Formats: sequence, structure tokens, C-alpha cells
Amino acid sequence: GNPQNLKCVTHNLHEMICTWDFSSRGRHGQTDFCYTTNDLTPQVCFKTKERRVEIPVPESSSTVTIKSSGTAFATKEFVIHQKDISFVPVTPHILSLTPDFSTSTLNLKWSDNGSVFPYGLDAIWQIQILRKETMEEVTQVTYYSKLTHEDLILSWNWSSDMPLECTSHYVKIRCYINATQFVGPKDWSEWSPAEMIPGKDTEPGESGVFPLDTVVAVGSDVTFCCVHEEDQHITNMTYGSKPYKMIQLSSRSHAIRVLNASASDTSGTNVVCHLKNGMDGTVVFVGYAPDIPQNLSCETSNFVIIKCTWKPGRPSGLYGERKTKYSLFERMSGKNVSCEVNEMNRDRACGFPVLPDQKTYDFILGVSNPIGQAQSSLLVDITQRVHPKTPEKLTVIENNSTSIQMRWFINGSFAGIRLLCQIEVSSGHSERRLHNVSMPGGKFSTYTARVNALHPYTKYQFRVHCSAADHFWRWSDWSRVMEQTTAEAS
Amino acid sequence: MAAADSPSAALRRRDLCSRGIRLAGKMRADVVDLLDAYVERQGLDASASVAAVEGVPLAAVERWDEQTGTQRLLENLAAYRAFRALLAQMLDEQREQLGEADAGLGRALAAVLLQVSAFAYHLEELLRLESRGIPGEEEDGPPPPPRLSIFEQKLRGLGVLRELAQWAVRSARDLRQLAKPSPATGAAPGLAESP
Repeated sequence: GNPQNLKCVTHNLHEMICTWDFSSRGRHGQTDFCYTTNDLTPQVCFKTKERRVEIPVPESSSTVTIKSSGTAFATKEFVIHQKDISFVPVTPHILSLTPDFSTSTLNLKWSDNGSVFPYGLDAIWQIQILRKETMEEVTQVTYYSKLTHEDLILSWNWSSDMPLECTSHYVKIRCYINATQFVGPKDWSEWSPAEMIPGKDTEPGESGVFPLDTVVAVGSDVTFCCVHEEDQHITNMTYGSKPYKMIQLSSRSHAIRVLNASASDTSGTNVVCHLKNGMDGTVVFVGYAPDIPQNLSCETSNFVIIKCTWKPGRPSGLYGERKTKYSLFERMSGKNVSCEVNEMNRDRACGFPVLPDQKTYDFILGVSNPIGQAQSSLLVDITQRVHPKTPEKLTVIENNSTSIQMRWFINGSFAGIRLLCQIEVSSGHSERRLHNVSMPGGKFSTYTARVNALHPYTKYQFRVHCSAADHFWRWSDWSRVMEQTTAEAS
Repeated sequence: MAAADSPSAALRRRDLCSRGIRLAGKMRADVVDLLDAYVERQGLDASASVAAVEGVPLAAVERWDEQTGTQRLLENLAAYRAFRALLAQMLDEQREQLGEADAGLGRALAAVLLQVSAFAYHLEELLRLESRGIPGEEEDGPPPPPRLSIFEQKLRGLGVLRELAQWAVRSARDLRQLAKPSPATGAAPGLAESP
């Protein structure tokens, strides 16, 4: 029989695999195979027992002569044009498929086998995710890359809508290379063999409800599954106290799908798997990502600690080890402070140490919880944000008929600034009047002032509050009232 | 055979027993209240059946009538020491999971823990009265239990509180038994003898 049906396929645009058969059955013994390419290089011949040879891909065409020496000699010549050669890339090889159970993601790594192709070709990859014992397709994703004439390891992540423990997951990949210069028909490669991540439902004796103790955002759609032992029988699954329709994943795994989850109570929402004898469960905490902190403001009352306050926005609904955490980072010094905040009270505050020789602070208040994070920033000159502590120990140090000298103490280190204090003077029948006095700040020290133009033998009430003199920010609270009667006129 | 009590020891024991009975009654009432709050706050099903909690001696005992006084006290003491450790752990887990969010439940748990500790001390007093050696507590307490999932923690808490409520009832019965005067001498028997 004559050689016929010569077909050539290339996997790398360099070499092609040609196959043929014979017009009649019978023994065909050894074959003499000769080929020449169109640039008139000398004919190359060799013997083969196969019906398949690997020869170079021609620029435009090759002439092939197949002489078989079986029961009857038969020789056939073929002219193969590039347009007759199919280009089917080599089946991709998955290097690794790595599960991250905590985030229910799969990481796929494969080689793009780019070294065998010219630089710059576009490659298209189709990745198929399958699930369950029946290997049902979950999704098929297209991924694009460019070949660089080197073997690159490509990496791709897939987030499952279901915990990976629930049932086995499989991944397959194939590729298509857009060899624009190649005129022959181009096709997808074969699918790679499926790589598998076994679910807990394939492991003897394993059981549990998944995801285990997870945190999700309000409004999420969440799939929970119950993996039970071989001899167990599941009766129903509840979310909170509500039973949900079950989806069977395998003989040992059932799932429920909760849509648009609402905020959970402080102790979380129980997801319970009721079994013939017993139950299993998990807890999900449904809350909010932290809001961007509002009205961030920082001041110091003593030039020792800077106190920043802010409005937290909507409560996250997460508590304990899942609660929102706050940290104050100062860009210039690089210092970071984590703030201890009680989730239950509305106002939020955090202390940051005043740093030696630093007036300006570039704060970033970072806020994060398992669902998300946010931040606010504030650039502040702390000498312009002085809110002194309440003056203490207001006492008289000298008293005569028309004036009184008094002293008070302010807890703080104000050596770098001037203070402005107001002494409020009042007495039974006269109007209150304010006596302003400014003085250099001291370091945890006392301050004195004299009030004049008083009436003799008259009982007065005095109190004092202070602020920064040069850049007013806020008055301290008033000191306690001190009562004093002026001396009698002499 | 231990000698019968001296009148003052018998009086002291009856006083300790009656105070113990009142303490057990108060504890039971508080545990039942706590149980209701716990079930509701933890989103549990009140009728949920819970496996026996590891480390907790069961209140139900066979041949309760045949126990000697010492056996009763020693079993009670072992139980309340176990509850003390379990409640302390529940309190830690409560703080870890909820922080300041459910301070009410935390306070109630702490109050019951206090009562359990007081009751354990009370039992030790009774044993001391009988110059019974008080079993030492394991040097560093029971081995830390395996890390449970949050749902398992919730169920274990339910089991602990249920069992504690049972024990409070049993303890009151045990102490009433101990307080009974011996039929022969009319004096309260030594612990070894009193069934």
C-alpha cells in the first residue's frame, strides 16, 4: 500500500512531527524517509520502522519522499507547505499547586516554556478549576502573558468561594500561542493532567465544619460545609438558628450557602451541623472594616505625652482578638506606638511620647481589623497644640489692702514656650474681672502673679486657667477657687 | 474506726455543713441564671446535647447512699477544683474572644468562679476539721487542654455550667447527709463512719 495521509504538527515552531499511514493493511517493514527543505539544502534520508518522524519545520515548504519496503515497494512524494503544518504548543506542565487553607486560595505555578519560542509572542492560558468527586467545572479563567525566549515560571492565585477543606479541588491548564509569523493552523495545546488538592472529605476519620472561626464582612456570601465521618449521617445545617438548604459535595461533605450575611452578635454566629448522633460547628464573625478615623486631633498637656483623639466612625462589630487595632506612626522619627483602645467607649485616644528636639510631628493613625484597614494622617507643630493641665495648689503668698500675690503649680514641662494665664477675680457684689498675665514656661514649676486694684478688707474669690501665649490652642480647665480677704486699710 | 465527734467539733461541723448548704444553694441559683445568659449570648440551642466535658467529674454517682463522709468531701473537692480551673479558663477565653464587649457575662462568670473557689475552701475546712489530709493540688494544675475551636469552647462552657449546676444540687445533698446526727449516739459521727 502507498504511504498516505501525511500530517505534520509542530509544538515549538522548530521541529515538526510527521505521521502517515498506508493505503492498505499488511506488513510494511522498514521505511526510507527523505526530505529536503525549499532552500535546496541536500536531501536528508534515514530509515525508520515508525510511521512518525521528527524533522525541522520548513521556512515555506519541504519535499518528503517515503519509500516503504514491506510486502510491496511503494514510494510516495509529498510537498508540505507551512500552511499545512499545525502548530499545537506543548502541553503545559504544572510545577506546583499550593493551597492556603486560611484564605481558601490556590496558588498555581507553571513554566511557560518560553525558551523554545521567539521573543515577544503572546501566550494565552486557560485554567480550569474543578471540584467534587465528580470533577464538576467551577470556573475557567483566561490568563495572558508574553513569551520572552526564556522559561518563565508563571504564578496565579485563585480564591475559592468555598473552603478548600470542603471537598477536593482540581486544576488543569492549557495554552494557545499566537505565533503571528507562522502561517499554518494554530490550536490549543492539550489540557495538562489535573493537579488535585484533596478535601478533608477524602481523609479517613476527618470531620469538621469549615471555615473554622473565620471573619467576614457584612454583606458577604459565604459557603460553609460540614465534613463528617464515613458512618455519620447529616440531618441538617443551621446558620444562627435558621436551617439552610444543603448542597451535597460528596458522600461525606455537605454545604450551605449564606447570602448577604448580616452583622453577628458579639460572640459570633454559630454554624451548626446536626448529625445523627451529635453535632459539630464553627463560628463566623460578621463585621465591618474600620472606617477612616475622623477629626484626628493631637495636643499635649505637659510636653511629655502627645494625646491624639479621633472619632472612630461605624463600630466594626468585632471584639476580643478580632477587634479593631490602632497604631500611631510618626513619619519623621519612624516611631510607632500601638494604642490600647476600649472598643466599648465612644471616644478614642492614644498617647505618643514627646520626642527630644522635635516640634513637628507627622502622624499616621493606622486602623485595622481582620476585614480591612484605614488610616488618617495629621501634620502638627506640637507647640501650637498646648492644652495645659489644670493649675493646682493656688495659694496666696502675699496679701495687703489693695493687692494679692498668688502662686500656682502646673504639672508639665513648658520650658520651651510662654504661658498666658487668666486670673478671674470676683467678690460678692462686684463684677467678675479677668486679670491676664503672661510668663515664661517652666519645667514642672510654680508660677506667681499679683492682682492689684483690690478693695481693702474685702473677700475675693480667685481662680486661674492657662494656655500657650504665642499660639493659643485651648485653655486649661479652671483651677479650684481660692478665697481670700484683703487686709484692712492701714 | 474513728472516734465519735467531740460536741464542739460536731457543732463546728454542723455549722460548716449548713453554711455549705446555703452556699451551694446560692451557687446553684447563680449558675442557672448564668447558664441562661450564656446560652443566649453564645447563640446556642438550650436543648443542645453536649458530650461530657473532659476533666469534669460527673455529679451523678452510683450507690450514693453507700459513700462515706470522707468520700463525699473528697469527691466534692476534686469536682470543685476542676470547676475552678475550667471556669478560670472560660473567663480567659471570654476575654480573648469578646474583650470588653460582653462585660456582663464576664462578671457573672467571675462571680460564679469566686463562689466555686469559696466552696472548695469550705470543703477543705470540713476535711481539716476531721484532721483529714487535704489532697494536694497537682503542682501546676491540670495539664492545659488542647486548643479548642470557638464553637467547641462554647459547647464546653455549656457542658461545664450544666454539670456545675448538677454538682451544686449534689453537694447540698452530700452536706445534709454529713450534718445528720448518728442514730446511735445522737452525736454527729466521724466522717469515716457516716454513710
